[in-house]
Parts: sequence; structure tokens; C-alpha cells
Amino acid sequence: MNERAPIVFVVDDDPSVRRSIKRLIGSVGLQVELFGSAQEFLLSKRPDAPSCLVLDIRLPGISGLDFQHELAEANIHIPIIFITAHGDIPMTVRAMKAGAVEFLTKPFREQDLLDAIQLALERDRARRQADAEIAVLRERFESLTPREREVLPWVVFGLLSKQIADAIGTSEASVKVHRSQLMRKMAADSVADLVRMAEKMGIPIPKKP
Amino acid sequence: MISGNAALTGSYDHLQVALSVLIAISASYAALDLAGRVTATRGRAQLTWLIGGSAAMGIGIWAMHYIGMLAFRLPVPVEYDWPIALLSLLVGILCSAFALVVVSRRRMGLTYALIGSAMMGCGIAALHYIAMAAMRLPAECRFDFRLVALSVVLAVVFSFASLWLAFYFRDEPQNSAWRKLGSALVMGVATSAMHYTGMAAATFIPAAPALDQSHAVSISSLGTLGIAAATLQVLGLAVLSSLVDRRFDAQGLELALTETRLELAHVARIATMGELTASIAHEINQPLTAVVNNGNFALRQVASEAPNLEELREAIAEIVDDGTRASAVISRIRALLQKGAPDRVELDINEVIQEATILVRHEATLSGVSVRLDLAADLPRVLGDRVQLKQVLLNLVINGIEAMRTLTDRPRELLVKSAKNADAVLIQVQDSGKGLDPEQVGRIFEPFFTTKPQGIGMGLSISRSIIESHGGRLWSVPGSSGALFQFTLPTDGNSVS
Repeated sequence: MNERAPIVFVVDDDPSVRRSIKRLIGSVGLQVELFGSAQEFLLSKRPDAPSCLVLDIRLPGISGLDFQHELAEANIHIPIIFITAHGDIPMTVRAMKAGAVEFLTKPFREQDLLDAIQLALERDRARRQADAEIAVLRERFESLTPREREVLPWVVFGLLSKQIADAIGTSEASVKVHRSQLMRKMAADSVADLVRMAEKMGIPIPKKP
Repeated sequence: MISGNAALTGSYDHLQVALSVLIAISASYAALDLAGRVTATRGRAQLTWLIGGSAAMGIGIWAMHYIGMLAFRLPVPVEYDWPIALLSLLVGILCSAFALVVVSRRRMGLTYALIGSAMMGCGIAALHYIAMAAMRLPAECRFDFRLVALSVVLAVVFSFASLWLAFYFRDEPQNSAWRKLGSALVMGVATSAMHYTGMAAATFIPAAPALDQSHAVSISSLGTLGIAAATLQVLGLAVLSSLVDRRFDAQGLELALTETRLELAHVARIATMGELTASIAHEINQPLTAVVNNGNFALRQVASEAPNLEELREAIAEIVDDGTRASAVISRIRALLQKGAPDRVELDINEVIQEATILVRHEATLSGVSVRLDLAADLPRVLGDRVQLKQVLLNLVINGIEAMRTLTDRPRELLVKSAKNADAVLIQVQDSGKGLDPEQVGRIFEPFFTTKPQGIGMGLSISRSIIESHGGRLWSVPGSSGALFQFTLPTDGNSVS
């Protein structure tokens, strides 16, 4: 998968702090984009690349914690690193529970921020990769015929062709045809491989025939 | 007289009569004055005033009677039995103590006053007739009982009047000296009338001395003057110490008030600080964050093989700016926390407004409130305490911001305006909230009245006392949209900022 250059978004209402963060992150060769408010960030056109968000807790209009919640609601899964000038424990707990990568108190050590950014970008990369894989699998799954899609869960469950034929009321010969077709279309080398794929896609597996 | 011996004809020494009246008036004045002290003080001080006061008054009344008696000249030598004379003095002092206790009570009903004056009148009459019983002369003393009765009635009536007057003056109303003097005149003359009625009731018939002469002493005219002088001195001293004590009391009270106000102002500032702590941590940590980041960046640049000098210069310039910014924040906080006596200086109120609004900038952005300043140029300077005035502004601005937190149907706007207004500058703080509840408008300046869940209700009350101590006025203006608070500060006349 050819990966695009990672990008770090920074949302802080203090221009001086924003600029200093940009210098710091920029000096390790990362691309940085700055925003003065949550609204500005939401309205921006974000490139399709591994990214993370450095977010101030105190923002005009909305708190960083509420914004984290809003992003999750809007299905935007960008890893978040919180920075705050006056953090407290309840705040930290809430942020971390909601999946924040790190919670840094200003002024923070540069290594802490850079480490957190590395971790966040790795997470985002992994998430993006997983998303991409699932997208490919979904595409393959879509190419199956209805009958093949019906047979697949039973194969994953571990039934023999004869048993599948009994379960769905058809001949063993036609089940064997469906089975080889779907293995080929899904590009699965083995039944074990197919089980992994079904798991990734979250296809429901029957409890019993 | 009907008896074989003609009654002795007496005459009065007019100078000594006048002296006795003067002493009566002085004693009355002292009584009125001391009643106030006994009422105003508590505990030991009250007891001291009661004992000292009744001694002075008792001596005054007693001396008045003796000098009145000495002023009465008979053609025979008159001497006095000193133990009886002392007894009459004791009666006078007890009588005075009783009177002071009566008038220093919290309230005085009519019944109470009547009983009090009956007892006091009888006491004074007792003093008078005991004093007469101390007379040692070769004559027999006979009394006209109608006049004796009249003198007792007069004593009671005079006591009643005295008690009422003393009760009225004990709270020491302003400019009461002249009225007190007038009352003392009335009381003194009344006392003298009682005494001379009592004297008129007695007739002296020559006879062999019947009474015990062993303790008799004669008193010369010089002795009379001595008694008068000593008495006047005692009374003068009583009035003087009462005056000094009252001064100290008033000063102490004023001092205590000022201290309490400063203390409260300090407490309120701390409370405001509490509300602002988060904001201030933010204000300081923001520039520090930028400084640390830029410093780290600079270190990296310096360590690299080809440092970008232009970027390095920019980063260092920002370090300097942010360092200055952090130090300015700290100066503002120190000024806010400083506790001390008001420091009146000539100042530009617009500057104070700007400083106060910078402090609440974050509070405002967080609450989604836009703060607008409409400051008149060329305002005359005002004489005031920068910290206290800033505190008043902070209070009003924070109140405004908090009032708009729940506002959703219109923009949250806070307007701070300054303008020239006759001999004063007028400062207005207006929010766009739902305004003041008409039922609460009358109470908002009361101490401990609050509409905020976490409020202690001191903000506006302290703000008002601060503005009033500056010679200005702080009030809320009804009927406008949103709450409007305004205050004036007198200008010192020197225009141009």
C-alpha cells in the first residue's frame, strides 16, 4: 500500500502556541496544519493520509473534550492528543476513556509530544490499513452470488459439503461448486484464511446447523 | 412664730447661691454626658463608667446642697456633723448610680420611668434632709410639712424630667452639645428649686444645742469655695474623660469599619481569584508552552548541520515576546492579590477597564461571550485605587458573563462603556442576558444576597462600598434589555489623560 505523507493537525486558540508547535513538529519532518478553533478544523478539507490531532482542551465555543465526542459521533476516527494549560484528573480520565492517545499538560516536554504523535500516527496507520483491508474484502464479498454468500458462513462454521447441502436443501455437488467458486473469489488459500476474513468483515457465523 | 422665742432670720449669700446653681447645672450636664458613656460601653468599661460617673455626679449633687446650705446665713454659728455629711454624700452617689443604671437600659417604659424617678426623687430629698440633719447650731429646726412635701414632689418631678432627657441624649446624637447644655440648665435650675424649697420649709428657733456636737466642724467661706472648686473639677474631669473616650470610640469604630471593609475586599478578591484560577493557569502556561517549544526548536536548529538562521531568529523573537507576556500576567495577578490600604492615585479609568477585561478574556471566550469596549477618548483622570476599581469591574463583568451562559436565542454580548458625565466619569457594564428579576433588583446590593449557586453574595455589596469610598455611586438601571450596571467616579478637575 503506497502511503501518503503523514500530517499533524493542531487546534489551539493561542496563535503563539500554535506557531511554536508547528516549528517543533515541523523540525522532525512532519507536515503540520494549524487551526484556531474546532469549527475551522471541521470545515477544512483534510487529505487522505495518516494523521492525528493535537487538541487544546480550552477552545472558544466548545471544549476539546466535547469536540472529541462530536468527532466520534460524526464517525471521524482521528487519534487525539490533548494539550491543556490546566488539566485535572477527571478531565484526563474522561479523555483517555474516550480513546485519546495522550493527555499532556502545558508546557509539555517536546519528547512527550513527539512520542505521542508517533504513537498516534502509528495507530492511525494501522487503523487505515485495517480499514483498507476490510474495504478490499467487502468488495470481494460483494462479488459473490446469493447462493455463495449463503454457503460461506457454513464453510466458516466447519461443515462438510454434504452437511451444508442438507442444511440449505440442495445437492452436495452444487455445494462443492459454490464452495470452490467462493474460495476463489475471496482469494482465500484455505478454510482458515477464510475464517480470518469473515472475522475481519464481521460476518455472523451460525451457532448450529 | 408663735413660740416664746422668735425665729432666727436667715439671709442668703447670693454669690454662693449662684455657685450652687452653677454646680447643679454642671452636675446635670455631667449626668447627661455620662449616661451616654454607660450606654455605649460594655463589660468592665461600663462598670468603670458607672462607678466613676456616679461618684462624680453624687459629689456634684451633694456639693450643690451643701453650698446651698452654706449660702444660708443665720445670726448664730452653724457647724456640721461630718459623719452625717458623709452619709448624705453616700446617698447622693447611690442615687446617681441608680439613675445611670435606669437610663442605660435598652428601653425605658413609662412605668419604669415613673418608679425610677420616684425612687430617685426620694433619694435626693433624703440627701437634702440628711444634709440638714448634719447642721449643728444653737437652735431648733422646725419644718413646714407642706413645703417639705412640695420639695419631695419637686425632686420626683425633676428626676422624671432628668431621666427622660438623659435617656434621649445617651445615644449621643450629632450636634447635641447645645441641646444637652439647655437640658442641663433646666435640670440644674429644677434641682436648685427643690433645694431652696426644702430650705424654706425649715425654720430655726434659738435653743440650746440638743444634738451631739462631738463631730461638728465649722466651714468657712473659703472652705465653701474649696468644696465648689473641687466639685467643679471632678465634674469637669468626668465630662472631659467622657469626651476623650467618645473620640477614641468613634475613631476605633471608624478604624474597625475600614479594616473590615479592606478585609472583605480582600476576601472577595480571593474569591474572584478562585473563579479565575483556571483562567490564570491558562494565561501563564500558554506563553510558557510557546517558550519551551520555541526553545526546543532553537536547540534543534543550533545542533543541526545547516541551521536555518531566519527561522531561528523568529523562534527566539517569539521566546522574548512570550516571556514578556507571561511576566505581564504575573504582574496583573500580583496587583490583584495585593492586600493593603487603598492607594489613591490619578488614573485613567479606560486603562483599568482594559486591564480588567484582559483578565476575563478566557472566561469570556469559554462562555461564548464577546466583550466590546466603547471607551470615550480624553476622559478626565480620576483619583482612585487601581486594584479596588479593577475588582469592581471584574465583578460586574464576570456577573455579566455568568448571566449570559444559558442564553441561546441571541448573541452573548457584553458592553463596557466609559463616558464623561458632568463632574464625573460614568462607566457602564451591560450584558445581553435576560436582565434583572424585578423582585430581586432591590436586594442585589445587600450583603450575602446572591442569585448564583456558588455565589457568596458579597460582590455587589463590596463593589458598592468601594465605589462609595471613592465618592462615586454604583447602581443598576432597570428597564433596559439585559442587566445594566453603572457607576460614577468624581474627577479631580484636571482634564486630559
